[in-house]
Amino acid sequence: MSLLAVKAVMYRELSKTFRQRGRLLSSLVRPLIWLLVIGSGVGSMLTGTQQEGYLQFLVPGIVAMTLLFAALLSALTLVYDKEFGVMRMMMIAPIAHGWIVVAKLIAATIIAMVQAIMLLVILVLIGLLDWQSALLLLPPALLTALLCASMGGLIAVWSKTLDNFAVIMNFVIFPMFFLSGALYPVTQLPDMLRYVVLVNPFSYGVDLLKHSIPGSQTDFSIITDLTVLIGFTIAAILIACWRFSRESVHEPLFRGGKKG
Amino acid sequence: MVSEFAIQSHGLTKQYGQAVVVNDLNFQVKAGECYGLLGPNGAGKSTTIHMLTTMTSPTSGEASICGESVTGNPVLIRSLVGLVFQDSALDRTMTVDENLHFAAALYGMKKQQASERIDELLAVFNLEKKRHLKLLALSGGQRRAVDIARGVLHKPQVLFLDEPTIGLDLPNRRAIWRFVEQLRREQGMTVFLTTHYLEEAVACDQVDFIQQGKLKKGGKPTSLIRDLAAFILELDCADSEAVAAQLTPQFGPPLIEDQHLSFRVADADTDFTALQKSLGDLLNAMQWRRPNLNDVYLWSMTHHKVGVQ
Repeated sequence: MSLLAVKAVMYRELSKTFRQRGRLLSSLVRPLIWLLVIGSGVGSMLTGTQQEGYLQFLVPGIVAMTLLFAALLSALTLVYDKEFGVMRMMMIAPIAHGWIVVAKLIAATIIAMVQAIMLLVILVLIGLLDWQSALLLLPPALLTALLCASMGGLIAVWSKTLDNFAVIMNFVIFPMFFLSGALYPVTQLPDMLRYVVLVNPFSYGVDLLKHSIPGSQTDFSIITDLTVLIGFTIAAILIACWRFSRESVHEPLFRGGKKG
Repeated sequence: MVSEFAIQSHGLTKQYGQAVVVNDLNFQVKAGECYGLLGPNGAGKSTTIHMLTTMTSPTSGEASICGESVTGNPVLIRSLVGLVFQDSALDRTMTVDENLHFAAALYGMKKQQASERIDELLAVFNLEKKRHLKLLALSGGQRRAVDIARGVLHKPQVLFLDEPTIGLDLPNRRAIWRFVEQLRREQGMTVFLTTHYLEEAVACDQVDFIQQGKLKKGGKPTSLIRDLAAFILELDCADSEAVAAQLTPQFGPPLIEDQHLSFRVADADTDFTALQKSLGDLLNAMQWRRPNLNDVYLWSMTHHKVGVQ
């Protein structure tokens, strides 16, 4: 019974997302702008082969960025559904509430992967990536997508309203992206910032993606990356499900201004 | 175990911090009955429904649905009940069909089975033509109808309706009650409803009143109305104190609201014309009418002071 319900929640999420062509398109334009603007801009300070190398260096980071935005924002629909009351339709259904979180996170992962694959195809077409590397990027991309989705889930179960959205954007997504090694190697960072990078789980996703591209400069071992990614993802999902199953999270939904 | 009672509540209480929202509720609803919990906004009606449907847990006391404790196995309880929320729980950006299929899948219904059930319900609510429209394109009454269809998709044993007609105009309110009655007849389900449009609860088998979280026992609406009075006499007068003093010996104490007095008239043969003459210039207006459930509520809850918000 729960399986059908989980599929239904997933399917709704996917069909709602893929119906919004504009959102899908902008999710592709964003990384390409970053790649071309930052890549060329920063690259212009470099010389000759270094310039070429920086664009190559950016590729895994840009893929990671796509995954981060897509998965995290999709997971935040948990808050969106709560805000618009649709969550109550799911909560009155005969399933354990944790399944709602699981379904949303699977959907977020799929959405992120679809966007990442589209980006990879473009990168191959414009010659920044070869087919083999693109395929090799898929497994680490999946793990990174799961990580980002579970982080989104964690944030979503602690946010009361969508008003927190700008806060999340400024204080979670951007710092997580900038302090991850997606744009520059972390080994040369000042100590303070390097510590932040080390506790940022997203850094390990970026690093694992870099491992898929031959000749890339990486910061951690594959084992470290896998351990952190898998460990953090499982812990985050469990915590998110646990918290979502607690009644106090939904109190505003059943109390708030609608007393009676 | 098959219980004779669809809903039982013993000492059900909900507290948010210091505020006691629902206070020691005791009532039983027989299987197949239509039960109305009536009271003003903020009286604790929705909170009671949310406790009975596992959406929030009681602070103390217990309740059961079809003999199953609401705190025991929430998933089982949710499969037994249908709940139509006070404001829509549907996704406005999806079509009627998509919304209902989504809800059906949440109840574990297979696609074929869901389609048949949706056909059936849309026919009842006369919404077949709206099936592929987005919720946004529907009127308030139609949206509420879809909400109710969503609540009964899985043929629940007990249907909870939280203010199902709030915000609707009269024709739509009537239509909603017709649908509910039809569904109840066809499926024999127990209905638990709340409303503050008291006159709408006349069709219930049993009603209780709730105010500030406390339950006041009611009964069968028609008996309650019959037992209240033969007529309600309403007077508008400048000096309400004087008129009240004059008529109290004959009719008992009135409900007083500024210049407006209401008396219960037990004797159906009262000569109102003579009464009017005897009051003469003291009166601005006078009318007498049959009592309704509103009067029952006012007389039982307000202790001779009209103060319903």
